Amino acid sequence: MFLSLIRVIKFSLQDIYRNIWLSLVTVTILILALFSVNMLLTVEVISRAAIDSVKEKIDINLYLKADSREEDILAVKSKVSNFEETREVRYISKEEAMEKFNEKHKGDPEILEALKELNDNPLTPTLVIRAKDIDQYGSLIAKINDIDSPAIESRNFNDHKTILKKIDAITAKVSEAGAIISLIFVLITALLVYNSIRVAIYIHRREIGIMRLVGASNSFIKMPYLVSSAIYTLAGLLAVIAVFFPFLGLLQPYLEAFFIDYNIDIISYFSNNFLKIFGLQFLALAAVNAIASLIAVSKYSKV
Amino acid sequence: MIKLLNVSKTYQPDIKALNQVTLHIKPGEFVSIVGQSGTGKTTVIKALIGEERVSSGKVIIGGWDVTRIKPGDVPFLRRQIGVIFQDFKLLPKKNLEENIAFALQVCGQAPKKIKTIVPHVMKIVGLEDKMRRYPNEVSGGEQQRAAIARALVHRPKILLADEPTGNLDSLNTKDIIDLLLKINKFGTTVVLVTHNREVVNRLKRRVITLDRGCLISDQECGKYIL
Repeated sequence: MFLSLIRVIKFSLQDIYRNIWLSLVTVTILILALFSVNMLLTVEVISRAAIDSVKEKIDINLYLKADSREEDILAVKSKVSNFEETREVRYISKEEAMEKFNEKHKGDPEILEALKELNDNPLTPTLVIRAKDIDQYGSLIAKINDIDSPAIESRNFNDHKTILKKIDAITAKVSEAGAIISLIFVLITALLVYNSIRVAIYIHRREIGIMRLVGASNSFIKMPYLVSSAIYTLAGLLAVIAVFFPFLGLLQPYLEAFFIDYNIDIISYFSNNFLKIFGLQFLALAAVNAIASLIAVSKYSKV
Repeated sequence: MIKLLNVSKTYQPDIKALNQVTLHIKPGEFVSIVGQSGTGKTTVIKALIGEERVSSGKVIIGGWDVTRIKPGDVPFLRRQIGVIFQDFKLLPKKNLEENIAFALQVCGQAPKKIKTIVPHVMKIVGLEDKMRRYPNEVSGGEQQRAAIARALVHRPKILLADEPTGNLDSLNTKDIIDLLLKINKFGTTVVLVTHNREVVNRLKRRVITLDRGCLISDQECGKYIL
């Protein structure tokens, strides 16, 4: 048994070496397939980050009366904070609102001049509220509408509902498109691998016939092809890992520049999930290779 | 040793390769099966090594009833019968030594024993100085010798030769036939399938003649009659 295993591995390595061009073509196809899968995963991570960053920027402004008493304001803030959907409530005073307004429009002297002519701060204090999850804004708005307090001046959230609906629609479309593209890529990868192994075994069909004629058993004929396909898979995966991380290193600065104020680290994502991502890819590809090898050997070895 | 009892083989749709063939080959015989192309000679060889199932009748070789053999037992049958072919059937990516050793490796022979047997059989066929050459680096005659060496490694009691000289010139043909006679002298039964008239007439051994799938002649010291 041990002797047979050693011989199978030896024949497999000999076969890879003596058919080096075919081996290189097979590994190249595997590299392209794996690179496509990982590119798709990267796009998925980036699109998820893009949606999350947009979600991060969504909040509800609850405008308060300018002459509200502090205890009324604190009571409203406390009530909103206690809702299970609430992640954060921030109070912005009239003065703070004015500072932000000036900062935002510092390049627009006409607006600032108009504000000066009012001789008073027309802005109202505000509670800026964020939900734990984008899906919870609906129920949170409903609960805020139920609050009865003399401090509240306005609670018109219709604009938010429209934006939330649009974001939900975009998220659903991105997920749907991602799933379809993933499925297409998985099918293409499986076909590429299956065909490259079929070609390899078709080229070896005469050899397989000779093996049968000299009395080689089924397992002795099939095993070297299975071992070879596992070696091809491992070589392809190692090559992709060697190429993909430097590629991510090149991509990272562009992502950081694009997602300002949002922490996106694609290298850390792949490093932290290394075993899960590449382990699963190895197992999936090795399984596809093994099945393709078995089907192809069985087809061409009927002697 | 070898028995064919009322053996028929029909290929679809209705091509009769063998028609009620009955023959018996005793241990140690040297028998030529002759006939023109397409008369069923190769079908006999294929039936004997379990490559083709016959349509009816019984095929027995070296104690194996090939008509009832299980697919899993076919490799064991083939390890006990030496077979050589017109196209040599050597593995192109293995050198001659590896080709011969391969027949022993597939049945789990120990490396020490392989190292003893392979040079021995290569010496018998006269290839001891070309062990590391690849099939495409030697002549047709030498490739056929290597194929014979591979067939001999299991010390088979039966050697089946399917047109072994079909691709060789007259000089190499003589060498190969002499080698087969030498193997027969050691006690191995040799079945030679050929349509080479000169070879058959020179041998002066038993000749079985097939014509359109039927056995038409079986002579003890025969000649090529077609």
